[in-house]
Amino acid sequence: MTKLVEWLLGVSLVGAAWALVSFDLLDLSLPQTYREVAWPMPLYLLVSFGCFSLATVGYRVATFNDCDEAAKELMEQIKEAKEDLRKRGLKM
Amino acid sequence: MATGVDQAVGMSLVVFSLLLFTYYSVWVIILPFMDNEHTLHKYFLPREYSVILPGIAAVVLLLCIGAFTAVIMWKNRKPKKVD
Repeated sequence: MTKLVEWLLGVSLVGAAWALVSFDLLDLSLPQTYREVAWPMPLYLLVSFGCFSLATVGYRVATFNDCDEAAKELMEQIKEAKEDLRKRGLKM
Repeated sequence: MATGVDQAVGMSLVVFSLLLFTYYSVWVIILPFMDNEHTLHKYFLPREYSVILPGIAAVVLLLCIGAFTAVIMWKNRKPKKVD
């Protein structure tokens, strides 16, 4: 079974469970509050995934380390490359 | 360590997303279990908006992405060569 088929199976199982609970397809007569909570679940999961992504990006922006030696090395290499290209006739 | 503006922007993103997550969680999951007379209800909009507002945000986001792509592609169009 390929990964795609596995994922599709998982998603359709979860989707079926969600539809069962929110639209009462089997007439189980769950309490109204549980149905009210279950119905926006896909949207809620999407919103919380978005929040998690935003928080991860923000955290990694705040804790990104400066790499001084790598920056210096990069400037050196840029100078060398410019020299080399100038010698070969490229006008910068 | 990243300094200055980077740290401020990063931390504000983290705080904002935490606040948004907490507010939305209470709105969707906790409020239905509270009685209709509980004081908590007056801090939250009616529940229909908990579906409509993210929908509008998604549409706006797609519009922005589409507009950005259109502007970039417009700027990069090359005129046809004339022989």
